[in-house]
Amino acid sequence: MSVSGSESAASANKPKYSKFTQQELPACKPLLTPGIVIGAFSLIGIIFVPIGLASLSASQEIVELIDRYDEECVTASDKIGFIQDSKANKACTRKITVPKPMKGPIHVYYQLENFYQNHRRYVQSRSDQQLRDKDYKDPKAVAKACDPEATTGDGSLIVPCGLIAWSLFNDTYAFSVNKKSVTVNKKDIAWASDKNSKFGSNVFPVNFQKGGLIGGGNLNDKLPLSEQEDLIVWMRTAALPTFRKLYGRIETDIMASDEITVVIQNNYNTYSFGGTKAVVLSTASWIGGKNNFIGVAYVAVGGICLLLAMGFVVLYVVKPRALGDPAYLSWNKEAAEYSH
Amino acid sequence: MTVIMRDEDNRIVLLCKGADTIIFDRLAKNGRLYEPDTTKHLNEYGEAGLRTLALSYRMLEESEYESWNAEFLKAKTSIGPDRELQLERVADLIEKELILVGATAVEDKLQTGVPQCIDRLAQAGLKIWVLTGDKMETAINIGYACSLLRQGMKQISLSTTAGDQVAQDAQKAAKESLMLQIANASQMVKLEKDPDAAFALVIDGKALTFALEDDMKNMFLNLAVECASVICCRVSPRQKALVTRLVKEGLGKTTLAVGDGANDVGMIQEADIGVGISGVEGMQAVMASDFSISQFRFLERLLVVHGHWCYKRIAQMICYFFYKNITFGLTIFYFEAFAGFSGQSVYDDWFMLLFNVVLTSLPVISLGVFEQDVSAEICLQFPALYQQGPNNLFFDWYRILGWMANGLYSSLAIFFLNICIFYDQAIRSGGQTADMASVGTTMFSCIIWAVNIQIALTMSHFTWIQHLFVWGSIGTWYVFIITYGMALKSRDNFQIMTEVLGPAPIYWAATLLVTAACNIPYLIHISYQRSCNPLDHHVIQEIKYLRKDVEDETMWKRERSKARQRTKIGFTARVDAKIKQLKGRLHKKSPSLTIHTVA
Repeated sequence: MSVSGSESAASANKPKYSKFTQQELPACKPLLTPGIVIGAFSLIGIIFVPIGLASLSASQEIVELIDRYDEECVTASDKIGFIQDSKANKACTRKITVPKPMKGPIHVYYQLENFYQNHRRYVQSRSDQQLRDKDYKDPKAVAKACDPEATTGDGSLIVPCGLIAWSLFNDTYAFSVNKKSVTVNKKDIAWASDKNSKFGSNVFPVNFQKGGLIGGGNLNDKLPLSEQEDLIVWMRTAALPTFRKLYGRIETDIMASDEITVVIQNNYNTYSFGGTKAVVLSTASWIGGKNNFIGVAYVAVGGICLLLAMGFVVLYVVKPRALGDPAYLSWNKEAAEYSH
Repeated sequence: MTVIMRDEDNRIVLLCKGADTIIFDRLAKNGRLYEPDTTKHLNEYGEAGLRTLALSYRMLEESEYESWNAEFLKAKTSIGPDRELQLERVADLIEKELILVGATAVEDKLQTGVPQCIDRLAQAGLKIWVLTGDKMETAINIGYACSLLRQGMKQISLSTTAGDQVAQDAQKAAKESLMLQIANASQMVKLEKDPDAAFALVIDGKALTFALEDDMKNMFLNLAVECASVICCRVSPRQKALVTRLVKEGLGKTTLAVGDGANDVGMIQEADIGVGISGVEGMQAVMASDFSISQFRFLERLLVVHGHWCYKRIAQMICYFFYKNITFGLTIFYFEAFAGFSGQSVYDDWFMLLFNVVLTSLPVISLGVFEQDVSAEICLQFPALYQQGPNNLFFDWYRILGWMANGLYSSLAIFFLNICIFYDQAIRSGGQTADMASVGTTMFSCIIWAVNIQIALTMSHFTWIQHLFVWGSIGTWYVFIITYGMALKSRDNFQIMTEVLGPAPIYWAATLLVTAACNIPYLIHISYQRSCNPLDHHVIQEIKYLRKDVEDETMWKRERSKARQRTKIGFTARVDAKIKQLKGRLHKKSPSLTIHTVA
């Protein structure tokens, strides 16, 4: 091995120095000192516990009334036959007593269980272009998107097509408080972007529910889709098999021990697949509806962090290790063990 | 190496140069006129550490040349597996009956920095063997120059008697004598009581051919492993490769071969890592190698700095990759239980596409390229840190499974916390409930936050690039979801951040809670590990952070000198052995001194 060439040749071959290529970029090297550990856990605890308590108190103040009616509203033994009979009287009256005062607006929901709006074939069965554009009439694409609810028996297109629209929920609720009827405001229950952009204001229902089977409610042919808020709310597929969707709002307050009477038109068939239906009345707060979980979770995580902070304080007091103590280097530790 | 040419008088001359033993075997009876003088000169050159060659020639008859050339052309143009063998046989036919001319010697100095480099690598815990084609005297000289050999080392020489190439019996006898030598040497090593005694094994190419045979190679390997340094001289390129393979397979350790000439190519390719030195001897070694450097001394930096960093970077990268994909993928599986196992994913297709491509890949790349647990100077000053790699402290099953468990826990936390928070109640003060797009987008935001905060906790070296990539990935997610939400193609994600989730306190509360819940176990783990059993690089990081290396210079120097593997080669070991020797002499002298003073 001999010494390489002349000095100038060597420096001509040397690559250009830059901090990036020589990995000497200025860097901050944060260190996890005991102070930072205790500080971090304490900070998380101090922030989380108040948030948790605030959420919990908001959730506790919400009044939520749930009334399941599908079992009791059908007295006939053949429930499916009853519900599919278009001539039967499906009206059902339910009474709910209000335990605590409810400040308006009171939100009315229908709650379904065991209804898989998140099934893959169900979720895909819609044509968004058809919903917003009245001139969109590509039959092949529509048939592919909305199969099996794309066309009627004789091949004419259904608007809006697909299983989601076809299975539209069509129970109705009429409320009266202490025998005085209250109106349910059904305006602005859908998201504004849906009404303005995704459902066309010049698209009207055509041939709706004229396929082989009737899956749900009917639509008013005279109203454009952008004003059919029940349909718009229904078509936002839910994440879980148990879900609620906004039906409307009662703008007035309801006092404690008031009696609410609900006249339900029990049209929707959940009996064929073992689903359940319920009507829900609930107030809302800044965090939304009644759910203690988020408050409890925050308090729990915050509490655990405070405990951990205290635990680490104890650890650092009982087993202190001076930072940068060279006795902990492995060659010194081995020597210490060896000498013992 | 032979050249056949016509001189000015139109006669055919054959000129041959090569190693002295090879040339001497092929001399004619009347060509040995200068043999005794040349042998004396060659020994002198060898002891001076020079590389020697013997030169010889022969005059050829026309007819002899013609007939030989016909054979040679046939061998050259043959195609097949035995072309090499044929060429060798034909060359053998003409390279005989040579007349010795003399010898040459070349001073081939060691490159600058080679002894220091070998010393440092030995301190880092590497075992170093030398395989060279030079004579034994030259090789031993080089060994002394770079302190692989020193005074006080017991030298074990394995050789076979010369001139026994042909007869079967002679070969058997040579092999048996070698076996005896190895057995005696092994016995001597075993019986050695002094722990600081060092052995050096020197073996030449002829003996190596026998030692590498299947029945002897394990004995040879066991003896070689006991010795502090091994020097093989007069090895052919094929033997270099065979020795490398023997070490690799026999010991199961990782081998690195470094060489600079075409004769090192076999060895470089055989070893786990091949390093070629580009220089005067040409580029064959460089082209066959995995890494190429321009000087031998750069090998130290290559191993101790870049090897150390690379090991840690790759280990961290792989573990983190598993973690983040487990975290992401398992949430999709959990959702199936709630969607009737129909194959519906809770996330939009675009989210899943971008997850591994844009939103979480750049921080990992910056970790893999820029992460440094300690700076380059520290790596060079503390050679013992290198052993973290060979001891596999950072990629053992405990760590891999730990990261996977972390991923499993994170996926459970992300999924179930989000499902329970977004159950069936309203999410806004306006009473609207969450749909699948809202839940999916929130869950995905939680994953992005959790995974990126996790990598920020893992990194210890933050340049502007890491900051840009980590925080930028989170920011890119928000930019994406807002931009994606402006296109109607996004279906239910249309304006989801601007209209549905952005103004919803529950979204931000869920993200904060889930991110904290996912990262708290890891934070507990690293805090506990750092306080109760810190690793070497943790302690050194703390010393640098508190500037104790500047305040307490003696402590720093002392630790640096202790931070090396116990080794018996290298000039530091030579210095230590000398000190020990002097101490021993002093100890013998001092009892007589005390008697004097008392009297």
